[in-house]
Amino acid sequence: MRNTKGAHAATVAAAGRTAPSAQVHGAQAGTENGRPAMAPAGEAHGGSGAAQNGQAEPRRRRATAESMAASQRDISVSEFFAKNRHLLGFDNPRKALLTTVKEAVDNSLDACEEAGILPEIWVHIEQTGPQRYKVGVQDNGPGILKTQIPNIFGKLLYGSKFHRLRMSRGQQGIGISAAGMYGLLTTGKPVKIISKVSPRKPAHYYEIQIDTKKNRPEILNGNGDGVDIPPGEAGRKVIEKHGIEWIELDHGTRVTIELEARYQRGRASVDDYLEQTAIANPHVTLHYIDPEGNEQHYPRSTERLPAEPKEIKPHPYGVELGMLLTMLKDSRAPTLMQFLTQSFSRVSPAVARKLCDTAGLSARAHPHKIGRHEADKLYHAIQQTRISAPATDCISPIGEELLLAGLHQVVPGDFYAAVTRPPAVYRGNPFVIEAALAYGGTANVHKVTMEQLAEMLAESDARTMRKFLMHTFTGVNSDAAERILERAQLGVRAMPARLNADEVARLHAALQNVNLDEGQTMTVLRYANRVPLLFQPGACAITQTVASMNWRAYGLSQSRGSLPTGPVTVLVHMASVWVPYTSESKEAVAAYPEIQRELRLALQAVGRKLALYLGRRLRVKQEGERRGKFLRYLGEVATAVSSINQVDRDELYQRLVEVAKRKTADADVRLDERGNRVEAPAEFGEHVLIVRQQEPNTPDG
Amino acid sequence: MAKKKKRPADAPARSTAKPQLSQRDRKTLQDLRQLADSVVQAAERRRDPHIDVPARSLSNVRYNKVRRYIEMGSAKNRRQLFNLSQARVYMQTMLVASGCKQLIDQGKTNSIRGLFYQLKHTIEGTQEETFDTQEECDPVIEDLEVTLNALREELHVFATNRGNLVGELVLVDSGDEIDCSRMGSAGYSIPSIVEPEVIQFRKCDAKFILHVEKDTVWRRFNEDKFWRKHHCLVTHGGGQPPRGCRRLLYRLHHELGLPVYCLLDNDPWGYYIYSVIKQGSINLAFESTRMAIPDAKYLGLRSIDFERCGLSNSVKIALNENDIKRARQIAQYPWFAHKKEWQKEIEQLLKNRFKMEVESLISKEISYVTEEYVPARLREKDWLD
Ligand SMILES: Nc1ncnc2c1ncn2[C@@H]1O[C@H](COP(=O)(O)OP(=O)(O)OP(=O)(O)O)[C@@H](O)[C@H]1O
Ligand SMILES: [Mg+2]
Repeated sequence: MRNTKGAHAATVAAAGRTAPSAQVHGAQAGTENGRPAMAPAGEAHGGSGAAQNGQAEPRRRRATAESMAASQRDISVSEFFAKNRHLLGFDNPRKALLTTVKEAVDNSLDACEEAGILPEIWVHIEQTGPQRYKVGVQDNGPGILKTQIPNIFGKLLYGSKFHRLRMSRGQQGIGISAAGMYGLLTTGKPVKIISKVSPRKPAHYYEIQIDTKKNRPEILNGNGDGVDIPPGEAGRKVIEKHGIEWIELDHGTRVTIELEARYQRGRASVDDYLEQTAIANPHVTLHYIDPEGNEQHYPRSTERLPAEPKEIKPHPYGVELGMLLTMLKDSRAPTLMQFLTQSFSRVSPAVARKLCDTAGLSARAHPHKIGRHEADKLYHAIQQTRISAPATDCISPIGEELLLAGLHQVVPGDFYAAVTRPPAVYRGNPFVIEAALAYGGTANVHKVTMEQLAEMLAESDARTMRKFLMHTFTGVNSDAAERILERAQLGVRAMPARLNADEVARLHAALQNVNLDEGQTMTVLRYANRVPLLFQPGACAITQTVASMNWRAYGLSQSRGSLPTGPVTVLVHMASVWVPYTSESKEAVAAYPEIQRELRLALQAVGRKLALYLGRRLRVKQEGERRGKFLRYLGEVATAVSSINQVDRDELYQRLVEVAKRKTADADVRLDERGNRVEAPAEFGEHVLIVRQQEPNTPDG
Repeated sequence: MAKKKKRPADAPARSTAKPQLSQRDRKTLQDLRQLADSVVQAAERRRDPHIDVPARSLSNVRYNKVRRYIEMGSAKNRRQLFNLSQARVYMQTMLVASGCKQLIDQGKTNSIRGLFYQLKHTIEGTQEETFDTQEECDPVIEDLEVTLNALREELHVFATNRGNLVGELVLVDSGDEIDCSRMGSAGYSIPSIVEPEVIQFRKCDAKFILHVEKDTVWRRFNEDKFWRKHHCLVTHGGGQPPRGCRRLLYRLHHELGLPVYCLLDNDPWGYYIYSVIKQGSINLAFESTRMAIPDAKYLGLRSIDFERCGLSNSVKIALNENDIKRARQIAQYPWFAHKKEWQKEIEQLLKNRFKMEVESLISKEISYVTEEYVPARLREKDWLD
């Protein structure tokens, strides 16, 4: 990343030198030159490149406790994250753009939902320089009080969501201020915020930059006090005068951040994120103007806000020893008994008494008097005592119906299924897993790469090439398979696993020239609390669970331990009061066994429905082909028979066709459904959507 | 076959003048019509049409000990139109039936190869041929024969002729009188249809028939005028004798009382040819009645002949695995199983681990087979039965 930074590297270094590296440099400088620690560090080692990074130099002398003490000091969180910004999702310019948009949008959605407002969001990205973009995100949320604005946008670890257990997108109090800090570090421009809480009250306009050393906001405009924008006509003039960007609303917030970034469409792009957000948030209306000026609108498909998630107290099982100590210290309860019943969910007086007894502590002890040793006993008592699971009505899942609708809107396919698991608990935190699946119609045969093809051939257990093609690719019936094989100059009965490189190349070329759907790797859309997760799929419990399942049992092909292939998209949502991310950048869900288990059960549920559908579709296809075959010969038979006994040839033919149709009645059921959306047949269970049927191949005779 | 032929919508009869139908033709036409009517009836009742084809497999033949030939059992295979694996062959059976009906109507005959071309065309609306190869067509013709219990010639179809005859016999073939002792070096070519309407025997001075396996050996006997010296007929069938050849042997044997002696190669294939002449073939067991010659004798070549005739090593041809398997199979045939001489013969072959052709006798001395070997066997009545 340093290399791509170019001119801005200086700014970064000046503002963001972290304590650990300052120590090392300071110590060396101090002993060699006898000068105070910080200042000469840059001079002494400037420009010496990689060699400077603590690598042993023969003449170097050891630091002493005294020299080290001179450079030992507090590390501000801001300084730490400025140095370690990859932890927050700012590891490259492309990702930085996405993370910035994401943090702002997530906050807007959280705020709207918490205030009971149907969210409407505007996202505007503008290019301001070769490597510079300005991101503006506005919402129609409740707005932010004037006094809060500076801390929210100019201080890391400041927020309303960390100290509570409630399902929300943000939870750490880092997100938006980190984005602002990154913008400042890379462009020197402050974060601009305008927020309005009511149509009658003035809006507030702030330009803020974070003081990374102190982790404190610095207000740049209005002499350190921001600018008030009065309601009505007067306000409009102020807005114009200051060049403020604002879409007029009764209430809401707009954040503008300028940052070094790169805009690129495709996987894990801003476009991708917004589209996936629309899938999982059908109650949101999104307006998006991309850097090229294209406008895109995702109107909401439901007027219903998700059920409001309730805030709950932590469950004893979810509390670690350190956390327990903090809670005891912070408690205002007069007795241990009351501390337990008031601070935790599912702790009745009877349970509290049992805990005290097991721990050998007095129920009347003052919480502040509980020392580390006693707390440890209490902690173990908690683990030994049966406490009922936490209430689970605090989770607000998307729901099967909206999952189906959302997926159907964005992912084209023939078949959709969704399932919302009942709530479960990991480490005392309630959570719900949801999964939805879309099958069919996503890709074309000619997209398959040579390597993928070779791999699929090697994995196939089909005995003939014809079977391989028919089972691997959607939309390839036996006629198509034969056409492909003829073009590739391969025998219909060749063994898929035995093709040599030359034959694979010919087959690949033939596939490219045939216009049919193709089987590619399954697409996995991951969500945590309705936020799409776009990075680190390999580290995520969701992807890991998908890959660890045997999808062959559900009619897809798959090589061991990797994602299955086929025109399939799977959406998985984890909703929880606390999502266990693997890092602060909130990119991957940690693999707790309880979570993995629920993931598996949810995926199995949609997998079973898919298997039913695929089995039936294969049957329909076969019936259709059967009928085609019969019909093909009926004309010949009728002609032959009538030439022998002079019966009316056409009449006989019609009769035979009727018998053929009766014999292959299964194919008909499907024919009627073609083109129309149909009610899910009972055998699939609920929450299945079948969009269109494959047309059985029947030449009319 | 790359050639594709579109069938005209209504195949017109080529000659408008209807030829006179024989009694036999009328019966065959009636059987064909019955087959066609069954399709119409099934369709009217909305049932799937089917044909019951007698099974032409080893499991459906049995050896009749009294009559001493192979008979077909009663097992039948149902062939359905609405069965994925049978639809095509069902269609083909009907095509063959309609083709035969046409031939009878026109008073013409066609070879099995000709019939294949007569029926082969592209199925309308597809790229599929009614028949891909003649090999696909031939068994369907045989199926129709057994199903209608009609002979091939009754269906106006014949196989390409193969086999020759020479000797002291005068016959009439399609009205032409032929003296089989004056047929030059190539002999009389045995036609595929040798029924009494086509061939009548006029005069016979021969006392027996010597049937040899192939042309080379037959030429040796003809050139040496063996038949004149021994007052006999010499025939060959070019390997496995076709039906015309077998049928002629049958008629000569039964109508003129001529014993049949076979001179075949000393290998499983030779044994099998003898078995077919004597007991009938498994594939066409239904025709045994009019083909099998249970009294036919096996003159040679014998496994003991390498030693007995003092042949040189160069005549040995090593048995391959398939030969060994076939030999063991043939030893198990019910009509060989209880014959000690035959068991010994086959055992010896397996012990020898080589086979020999009749030609090896010629390699010993050009006329050894005609002047010594066969006369000696006949004189000594040294043969297998
Ligand atoms: N658009 C907004 N409207 C109203 N309140 C907001 C808005 N954006 C942020 N906030 C408030 O500011 C706080 C801090 O936001 P920030 O993104 O820094 O942290 P967070 O959302 O709590 O956690 P995370 O680091 O996981 O995003 C939020 O908790 C919320 O109370
Ligand atoms: Mg946030």
